[in-house]
Amino acid sequence: MPMFQPSKRDGVVVAGFDGSGDGQVLDLDTAVRDGVLGGGGGGIIGAGGGEKLDLKKMIEELDLPEIPSVFICPISLEPMQDPITLCTGQTYERSNILKWFNLGHYTCPTTMQELWDDSITPNRTLYHLIYTWFSQKYSLMKKKSEDVQGRVSELIQTLKKAKGQARIQALKELRQVVAVHAIAMKTVVDEGGVSLISSLLGPFTSHAVGSEAIAILVNLELDSESKTNLMLPTKISLMVDMLNEGSVETKINCTRLIEKLMEEKEFRSESISSHRLLLGLMRLVKDKRHSSGILSGLSLLRSICLHKQVTSLIVSIGAIPQLVELLPALEPDCLELALFILDTLSSLPGGKAALKDCGNTIPNMVKLLMRVSESCTQYALSILWGVCELAPQECSSVAVEAGLAAKLLLVIQSGCNPVLKQKSSELLKLCSLNYTDTIFISKCKLTRTIQ
Amino acid sequence: MGLLCSKNRHYAEADIEENAQAAEIERRIEQETKAEKHIQKLLLLGAGESGKSTIFKQIKLLFQTGFDEAELKSYVSVIDANIYQTIKILYDGSKEFAHNDVNSSKYVLSSENKVIGEKLSEIGSRLDYPRLNRELAEEIGELWKDSAIQETYARGIELQVPDCTHYFMENLQRLSDANYVPTKEDVLYARVRTTGVVEIQFSPVGENKKSGEVYRLFDVGGQRNERRKWIHLFEGVTAVIFCAAINEYDQTLFEDEQKNRMMETKELFDWVLKQPCFEKTSFMLFLNKFDIFEKKVLKVPLNVCEWFKDYQPVSAGKQEIEHAFEFIKKKFEELYFQSTAPDRVDRVFKVYRTTALDQKVVKKTFKLVDETLRRRNLLEAGLL
Repeated sequence: MPMFQPSKRDGVVVAGFDGSGDGQVLDLDTAVRDGVLGGGGGGIIGAGGGEKLDLKKMIEELDLPEIPSVFICPISLEPMQDPITLCTGQTYERSNILKWFNLGHYTCPTTMQELWDDSITPNRTLYHLIYTWFSQKYSLMKKKSEDVQGRVSELIQTLKKAKGQARIQALKELRQVVAVHAIAMKTVVDEGGVSLISSLLGPFTSHAVGSEAIAILVNLELDSESKTNLMLPTKISLMVDMLNEGSVETKINCTRLIEKLMEEKEFRSESISSHRLLLGLMRLVKDKRHSSGILSGLSLLRSICLHKQVTSLIVSIGAIPQLVELLPALEPDCLELALFILDTLSSLPGGKAALKDCGNTIPNMVKLLMRVSESCTQYALSILWGVCELAPQECSSVAVEAGLAAKLLLVIQSGCNPVLKQKSSELLKLCSLNYTDTIFISKCKLTRTIQ
Repeated sequence: MGLLCSKNRHYAEADIEENAQAAEIERRIEQETKAEKHIQKLLLLGAGESGKSTIFKQIKLLFQTGFDEAELKSYVSVIDANIYQTIKILYDGSKEFAHNDVNSSKYVLSSENKVIGEKLSEIGSRLDYPRLNRELAEEIGELWKDSAIQETYARGIELQVPDCTHYFMENLQRLSDANYVPTKEDVLYARVRTTGVVEIQFSPVGENKKSGEVYRLFDVGGQRNERRKWIHLFEGVTAVIFCAAINEYDQTLFEDEQKNRMMETKELFDWVLKQPCFEKTSFMLFLNKFDIFEKKVLKVPLNVCEWFKDYQPVSAGKQEIEHAFEFIKKKFEELYFQSTAPDRVDRVFKVYRTTALDQKVVKKTFKLVDETLRRRNLLEAGLL
């Protein structure tokens, strides 16, 4: 019988246990040293204390791209967990070769020879090798992830000197570490990472670097000094640029960071009094594909509305009709924000006019009364009041046709706070002025409008 | 019969050859059209003396083979012309001020320098200039040092004295050397009014030396009388690089001394933004000559320019410079959004602070421009 020669790679490419993770063939020297071949020393299992690590679990968690080829089942190309050897000397994963036999084949898949002996021998040696190899890798990985602080320090040192692609890589890695490990965040702050990363932001910062930097900063605890530093016009300008051009995650990060900075009392309204910022925010808010974007966009817009100087700018860019159109599709938390914004803007004469001019304002507001929450009702009512006061004839008839009267009655009869009820009855009175009693009462019929 | 047959074959062969040629031409046209599509056109626009040509030269130096010796030498006559023209302007200016100004004595030259001045003024009015030599350079240097000329130079803005004056006057000895070959920096400072259109094709080589996009950059004349030449270039432009010299808020135009330069830039930018052919074009605004702006803004308030009349200074020193710059940037942004129809608001629009003479700054700025345009392409291809 011709013996099948096992394939030999030329030379011995080091597999190594130093975490390099590549290599096709085991280097026997290091294997002996590291105890893979069963010698006493070399700390085979890092966990210690008799904890039996499950091979399957380790293989899955590690998900390594390069595994020594001798560990791979020729049928499934996956690492073997229960290797068995046929009479031809070839080794396969037990479940796979049994499936092969069940299909009616009695050959060795790789050599194509007919089997003269149907015994299958568990390859204990190979199993031992596989198990130990994976255990080593696993404990290394665990150690590495536990040494988060060390990794963070390393990355910060790298960032001090790295340029170009290396810088982007270091930032990416730092971002990933910070996202996974809470302790990393503290380490970054302690090691002066904040001012270092802030210093990377300037007029010549590329988008690639800027987006990573912001992604890290937004998750950290920033002290007053850092925030003041980040409020420099060139840095805010960079954030606004990324808010306009970046991916959704980047946009959200920039939005959240700006909002954080606005909490500082030294924050100057001029920084946010920018067409680019507001238009970028509106774009984010209108993007129906990303609801988290809508929420963070509206949240920042709300904070911006608190600065009186900027509100007229918001109105001038046509934000009001756009927000009104959005309302029906919004989630409750977004709704409250949007209504607050519209209510704040309605206090401006330009705002009120824009609300009146937008055809869907009244119907949308009426629909929202008593639908979502008390504060939503309060804002919607306030907006309706503003619009109807501005043009009583025109607007109240539209409102009444949309079922306003019935809704107002609901408010009055509900357990809402007294101020709200008072407002409702005043509005009801205002609207009724254009109708005779009988007609108006018919408009108050509840059936049509309330579910 | 035989004759007929062979004649037909002759014609048939000629036909086949003609068809083959026509097909080849068609194929070549198709190939070149395809290649053209991948070339991104960049158009440098802006008012006169806004720094367009300097940016153009910088790109040539950065991404092409720069200037060879012949090209460098070709600038000698330009530099000579700059020097003669400038010293003439200053001399004539000093005479004017001496005549009209209240403190006329400030502008009166020493008698020796007056003689030099008359001589140089005559040279400067000729059509052809003599090559700058040791003797002339010394005389110009003497005149330049005269306090009357320095006083005149301080009011250079009123006289349309070009920005390169100080640089050339300080280097006269080197420039007048018999074997003078201009340096790259000399070339960047040399000022010549661009007429017509100049173009270069280049590829900004990235870090990994991978060639990226291919760009074709066009530089056009900026003065008013040249603008009608731009029209036919506007088709299919990827991006407009609009240069605005922000130090010019207190200066008037070369071609119309009644018009403030900043106001001219404002109007031009507005006009360019509204052009129908720029519907989908990206706009990169280079706020240029920041180095000169830095020095001027602390001495000359921004509100001398009508467009900036609502400016309020807040502090001093570096902070004030930054504040003033941000103010101007906001003004331009405001203008952009006012001049942009709602359906065009999604155009890429970015503002950059530049000093065109500083090669590092131009290189960094262009890297950012390149990144923005590449991201835009990916976005449009749906890959981002």
